[in-house]
Amino acid sequence: MTAADVRESDPGDGRTATPGASRVPARPAASPLPPLAPEPGVVAPEWAEVVEHFREGLIVCDADGVVRHLSPVAQRLIPELVPGAVPAVAGVTALAALTADQPAEFPHHGRRLRVRQVPLSRARRCWYVEDVTESVSRADALLAERARSAFLAVVGEKLGNPLHPDRAAAAVVRLAVPTVADVAVLVLAPRAGRARWWRASRVDGEAPTVDAGSLPAAALPAAIGEGLGGVEPHALDWLVEQAVEAGWLPGLDAAALSARVVPLPGRDAPAGVLLVARGSARWYDDADVDLLRAFAARGGAALTTAVLYRDQAEVADTLQASLLPVEPAEAAGVQWGTAYRPAQAGLRIGGDFYGSHRLADGGSVFFLGDVSGKGVEAAVFTGQLRQCLQALHRVETQPGRLLRLLNGALLETTQAHGQGRFATMVLGVVRAHGDGSLSLTMAGGGHLPPLVLRASGEIEVVPLTGMLIGVVPDPRVGEVTVRLAPGETCLLYSDGVTEARGGPRGDEQFGSDRLLHALAGCHRMPAPALAERIEQVTCDWLGHGDHDDIAVLALRATGGPARPVRHLHAVPGPARAGTETEGTEA
Amino acid sequence: MTATTTEADPTAVYPLYLDALADADEYGAVEVAVGLLEGGVPAERVLLDLVAPAQAEVGERWARNEWSVAQEHAATHISERVVAAVAGYANPRPTRGRIVVACMDGEWHALPARLVAEVLRLRGWQVVFLGASVPAAHLVSYLHRYDADAVALACALPVRLPHAHRMIEACRRSDVPVVVGGRGFGPDGRWARALGVPWAPDAPAAADLVADERALRAGPPARLDHLADDEYASLVKRRGELIDSALADLRARVPAVSGYTPAQLDSTISDLGYIVDFLAAALYVDDGTLFTEFTDWLVAILASRGVPPAAVALTLDHYGQRLHDFPRAAGFLATARGALDPAAPPQR
Repeated sequence: MTAADVRESDPGDGRTATPGASRVPARPAASPLPPLAPEPGVVAPEWAEVVEHFREGLIVCDADGVVRHLSPVAQRLIPELVPGAVPAVAGVTALAALTADQPAEFPHHGRRLRVRQVPLSRARRCWYVEDVTESVSRADALLAERARSAFLAVVGEKLGNPLHPDRAAAAVVRLAVPTVADVAVLVLAPRAGRARWWRASRVDGEAPTVDAGSLPAAALPAAIGEGLGGVEPHALDWLVEQAVEAGWLPGLDAAALSARVVPLPGRDAPAGVLLVARGSARWYDDADVDLLRAFAARGGAALTTAVLYRDQAEVADTLQASLLPVEPAEAAGVQWGTAYRPAQAGLRIGGDFYGSHRLADGGSVFFLGDVSGKGVEAAVFTGQLRQCLQALHRVETQPGRLLRLLNGALLETTQAHGQGRFATMVLGVVRAHGDGSLSLTMAGGGHLPPLVLRASGEIEVVPLTGMLIGVVPDPRVGEVTVRLAPGETCLLYSDGVTEARGGPRGDEQFGSDRLLHALAGCHRMPAPALAERIEQVTCDWLGHGDHDDIAVLALRATGGPARPVRHLHAVPGPARAGTETEGTEA
Repeated sequence: MTATTTEADPTAVYPLYLDALADADEYGAVEVAVGLLEGGVPAERVLLDLVAPAQAEVGERWARNEWSVAQEHAATHISERVVAAVAGYANPRPTRGRIVVACMDGEWHALPARLVAEVLRLRGWQVVFLGASVPAAHLVSYLHRYDADAVALACALPVRLPHAHRMIEACRRSDVPVVVGGRGFGPDGRWARALGVPWAPDAPAAADLVADERALRAGPPARLDHLADDEYASLVKRRGELIDSALADLRARVPAVSGYTPAQLDSTISDLGYIVDFLAAALYVDDGTLFTEFTDWLVAILASRGVPPAAVALTLDHYGQRLHDFPRAAGFLATARGALDPAAPPQR
């Protein structure tokens, strides 16, 4: 067949409407097209014959509503109608109810028909009937697919963040309701013989409520057990009954439910199994089951990530805990104040350190310092350093000699590991006197000099010098003794305070002048409040900018052991939960 | 015993307690509180009727310049010790879920949050108090690690609202519901509504709210469509430049500024910064009253420290000129400028 053949003939099947090639202008013309005119030599078509091949069927009624003419397509779609029939009488009420200019759709013999009514001359009417079954179902399928994608997108967003494992489990069941279930139960793979479960259910269109519980692994319904074994159970019989028996569907009519079970993929075995149930009017078809599987895949990934994160965090926490600065041990006549803010907020450890050890003679060794570098590696080095001190203070209590001993030990460690790390620090020994005053002998290892807040309000810079620790074999170490009268405070701090960069443009150093100004008038403050104040003014200066590790250690002479420390025991803490209630003699 | 019964009333011993705070007498203050507990006053009443109002008074005294910052810090520290002592005395057994209480990053007024934490603890919750100025990253890693039924976030200053919002979103990404409280969200919690987060006016209300998960998860969405105009983001970017030009303007118009000590200059710069920050917060929640309330407060604070309101007016005018192409910001500045009493006599 050639193009010329098509031009001269009618396609005949009504499915194609190829315009005659000769009627198409060769190129887009600016002037309007000429009116259509029959080509010379072509006979006018028989209209009734042409109409027969329209995709729309035609029904023509006379003024009395009696069908006078039907096209074959209309007859096929509405077989009840024959010429001479009245639609309402023939049982096609939807057609009779139509009004002009208002197209309508109605189901008929399992197909979906769209009809529009056009008034003709002499009060006659014509109905154009179109079969839209396929296009409607295509649109429905598209909408359903779109809803499924939107649902999975929400699921991906909610489960995409790392969560606590319990949160992840609760989120999975909460997200399942109401889109894929009225009741969703997630059963996690059993640990130590018990399986924990989460359930979301909803009543009367309200937000779903989530609850949780656990079952012995042996008591799990068979279908759940199969699912945990990695098999998606195919036999769906008794699934609802099993769920009822497990106590998961209270108050629901088991007979009116349909249910499915899907495993949530884990790293090797499934992380858990999701059981979904809803009214049997919404039976789970193939598309629903595909959606369930896609949902389960995301839920499984979230659970697996959560568990992985928890396991890693447990390890990291344990290691971090050993590197955290330990609060100074209580010592007679001394009130300690500390502040610590590591550079990386997510990490609770850093390269600054402080601490104290009690001595057998009632005094205490105390120290504050800063190792080179930041982050985990620096923190690990502070751990080594503190362990060295922990051991060395038992053999040497004279600060200068203790610091030199520490220098030797660190030098050996860093050389052995090829680390090239070093530290600056102040190390001192504090002893209380009978009059409530304290004497502090401090040795300097290249650290910022301590400050002393006198009762008069004066602030002294302790003239302490010395060399870095862990660099040369025999460093110069300065030593100074300071006496604190009751109420006076000695303050040690790291360079994270004075070198904090902030201010209006975020690039100016805080500096020691600002520190001294911030301390003016603070000589009556308790040591913890003083340490917190330094942390606060430093962080305020920083704004929200990055910073180095910040550490502060304050020692205040409380005026001797005259005041009992009993009320201090009242600080609640997990280890002291059993402390007897104090103050009964007050 | 007679002495105890007459003293077993928080209002009766309130002056005694304030004196202890004024003298930085930790033991005296703890004795007053423990005396009440022994007289049969419930721990929650001691916290809410003694410690809380006293702390509010401490803030007032600082605002009136009667107390130094150091005195305020010392008194706050003592209040903390008293709260610890009261909590230790009551020592409730936890019977309910876990609640995490934290202050926003940059928020150092920890005591109100601490009081909420203790009231929740007294009502049977297992409470973890993360303290002052908690970085968002730290809070989120805590939630990943230990989970919680809810997070209670405190914010005392509206200037932290943009950060508060980021922190709230971070908690929600961890799927943990959030309740907020503190003056920073407005006296009626209106800025909490702008951020779309449940708000509790006081500790007992917070306790009721955390017990109702549905209420925690409900709540209208945030109303922050106005952020699309980019005024907030641009203002934050121009912060340093605005402060510099405002300082130059002050130097040119107020001769005394050139004679300022470095410390005075620092506090002037930080005040200029506060003005920008509060303006930014007002833009963030799109509420000019936030800014006007701040400028009123700033004028009062500065007046008690001998700075005339004219200095604030000058700076508002200056920012107004610099931000003429920021319609919302310029509007807020103009309203705040109009609210300053021009007839107020200059104070020395």
